[in-house]
Amino acid sequence: MRHIIRQITDRAFTILTGTSVVLLAFALLVILGPMLWRGSKAVIFKDTVEFRKMQLDLYNRGNPANLKVENAETESFRKTVYETIDDFKHGIDTEELIDRTKQIYRQLGKELRYKGVTDEEYQRIRSLARELRDRLQAAFESNDKKVIKENINYVLRYHLDENLAETSAVEFFTLAEDFQQSVENIDLNKRQQYAGSLQQIEEIIFHLLGPRPGDPLPALTMNRYGATRWDLAQKLLDNLLWSEKWIQKEAAQPLVKIRVSRAEEFAGTKLEPLFGYVQNNLDKMLKPEFTVYWQYFIDDSTPGHYFGGVGPEILGTLLLTLLAMLFVFPLGVISAAYLVECASDNIAVRIIRMSINTLAGVPSIVFGLFGLAFFVLFFIPLFGGPSKPCILAASLTLAVLTLPVMIRASEEAIRSVPQSYKEASLGLGASKFRTFMRVTFPVALPGILTGVILSLSRVAGETAPILFTGAVALGPLPKSLFDPTMTLSYGSYDIAVGDRLAMMVPHNQYGMVVTLVLLILCLNTIAIVLRARVSRKLRGQ
Amino acid sequence: MITNSAIQNQQLRPATDKNQSLVLTPLQDLGGFLFHHLGRLLLFLITCSSVLLVLLIFFFVIREAIPFLTKFSLTEFLTTKSWYPEAATPKFGALSLIVGSLYVTIAALIFAVPTGILAAIFLSDIVSLKVRDFIKPVIEILAAIPSVAYGFFAVLVLAPWMQNKWGFTTGTNALNASIILSIMALPTIISVAEDSISAVGRELREASYGLGATRFETIFKVVIPAAHSGIIAAIVLGMMRAIGETMVVWMASGNANQIPSPWWDLSQSVRTMTATIAGDMGETPKDSPHYWSLFAIGVVLLLMTFLLNIISEYFLASAKKKTGKS
Repeated sequence: MRHIIRQITDRAFTILTGTSVVLLAFALLVILGPMLWRGSKAVIFKDTVEFRKMQLDLYNRGNPANLKVENAETESFRKTVYETIDDFKHGIDTEELIDRTKQIYRQLGKELRYKGVTDEEYQRIRSLARELRDRLQAAFESNDKKVIKENINYVLRYHLDENLAETSAVEFFTLAEDFQQSVENIDLNKRQQYAGSLQQIEEIIFHLLGPRPGDPLPALTMNRYGATRWDLAQKLLDNLLWSEKWIQKEAAQPLVKIRVSRAEEFAGTKLEPLFGYVQNNLDKMLKPEFTVYWQYFIDDSTPGHYFGGVGPEILGTLLLTLLAMLFVFPLGVISAAYLVECASDNIAVRIIRMSINTLAGVPSIVFGLFGLAFFVLFFIPLFGGPSKPCILAASLTLAVLTLPVMIRASEEAIRSVPQSYKEASLGLGASKFRTFMRVTFPVALPGILTGVILSLSRVAGETAPILFTGAVALGPLPKSLFDPTMTLSYGSYDIAVGDRLAMMVPHNQYGMVVTLVLLILCLNTIAIVLRARVSRKLRGQ
Repeated sequence: MITNSAIQNQQLRPATDKNQSLVLTPLQDLGGFLFHHLGRLLLFLITCSSVLLVLLIFFFVIREAIPFLTKFSLTEFLTTKSWYPEAATPKFGALSLIVGSLYVTIAALIFAVPTGILAAIFLSDIVSLKVRDFIKPVIEILAAIPSVAYGFFAVLVLAPWMQNKWGFTTGTNALNASIILSIMALPTIISVAEDSISAVGRELREASYGLGATRFETIFKVVIPAAHSGIIAAIVLGMMRAIGETMVVWMASGNANQIPSPWWDLSQSVRTMTATIAGDMGETPKDSPHYWSLFAIGVVLLLMTFLLNIISEYFLASAKKKTGKS
């Protein structure tokens, strides 16, 4: 019996340890999987004609002639949408109608003055027009069909009045007739609700199709184009077809979200066909095409991170990391060489080793504080540089941060060079220095390079040390080493938390962080492969 | 054969001039001597740059914190909870920040330590080398993913998920931060623990198996006791990693300046020292009390990690000594 229990505990334990590793792999999968998937959409997706317009305008990419043809085609389909909306609006947007009557009235006054009518006549026509205007306004503002009918009929009675013929006032009658028609199908009590809903719909259509042809170009670049991506267009279409409402289903219960079909909401009105039309013809209005937007990695972003890519961020990251490597490589290799080749186990070396370990344990944010206090405020001004966050300060800070990584990796690489190599060289009469330069260092170089690559990947991902020493979320491209720069790491932070504009475009959020992760994974893969080759070589296979 | 012809094809150059005497002149001898020793000295000085850098870090961070310590009371800084640095009469009570840091760190360790040690045992004692070669890259990739990417995941994936599925009032809370921190601390814990568990010799294990113990008994009663200092060092190093982490806690912990009550309620937001420095420094003018106070927090952090570092080194050294003897 006891034996069985012991065996069962043993098995259970084995399974438990296995589970922990499975958990680890699962965590990796959960973290990287969705991120990579969503990030890939920043590069590989179905674009629309709006995207191609944007590319042509902002980056001068694509074929203008083709685009013109496409534009004409899509606009022919879009026209119906605008017409349907405008048609429906006549009966709904009373404010606009009232404005229109006021305009007509004013117009009439001007016309009469130039016509040379007598004072008396002028007064009479004016008062008649005022009467008509007020009646119409009363009709527009009323919710009672009876009142409307009364007022409209009153207006239409003057339909053939000679005094008003061939003046602007005839428009009163077309307005009245239009209104009469559109009011017939509408539940007037719902007019307020319709107006609110219509505003939403117009906004969605604006985001879907961009500004109407002929309208002035919006000031913000992001408003100049409709849905640039097919997935975005689908989302907007869903918003168009379904409105979300919070209702209380049962008393004393929290509100529940329900989806209401807008087609039902507008059932029986002139707007109803719009929904079916947009649903069926969306692809003709936007012309989706599969695309690989590889320029994402070189394009500047504009405005914010709404359009464009991560070009400046990649550039900034490369600049910072390579510069940091430039500082840390000689320092790290020399330190490692000294520690392996020359150092004996005395108190000085122990202090050095302890310092390296301490340096490795300092939190990255403290490196940021140090970079600010030392490099930005003290060291660079000491040599006449500007006392502000800049690339140089950031890369120096990163160099300090990665020094222990570099020393440890180089030390390991130099240590793994077989003793027999060195002894052969020393035995031939070469000096220690010569042995190191001609034998040890070349053999250890691939191993050291592995360390360099690993340090690179560490430095590329660090954010906290460069927060105050040289990273900005948005800004111009750096012109010298004394300018701050955008980086992938800080950009990933900002685009996730700080950038309100980017929150509307999740593919760009994920795109940025995936670019960073991919860069680092590539570097790590290279390092792993290189290390495997080196160890195989040193084992003599 | 190939190597022979390759050598023959190369022009063979004599290493030294034949006519030159092999005996060095005294001047050459002196030159070599000086070169050797001066070179060594130079290398030593360059290597000392790490020491210099550590001193500089301590000096400059403490220097900026000193004005704070002279103008405000240290006991108030360490023992009160109200942190209102921008108020008319600013209050600098960092207790809840310090507690917040420790809180998420310890919560992270509660997840990470059992998982990490079990995984280390799995790698060192249970699977073959081939399987190990598959698992190692997983751990290396987990270690390589930058912290800002973890933070991104915490904010945009984990937080909404927690809010929707678990009904938390906020998705960015102590639980979120500590889950992510535990994943980040795992690679450190696993690799150090695995090293020390592997370092326990075959002999001990075989003796235990020979006495009829099962694998579970061998590991628990022989291997882990023998490797305990290395495992403690692994936990301390994992703690260091978690306590010094900035981006994840800044993004995922919610940044609410409070001590959770009841104390076990992980679904509340907390604020850590690192997140406070990262979040406030951008808006703080230089040489203001707020600015100095952030450096004071930096000093607390620095001292904490320094202490942990010494502890881990002590345990690593004793682990080394033990396995060296056996």
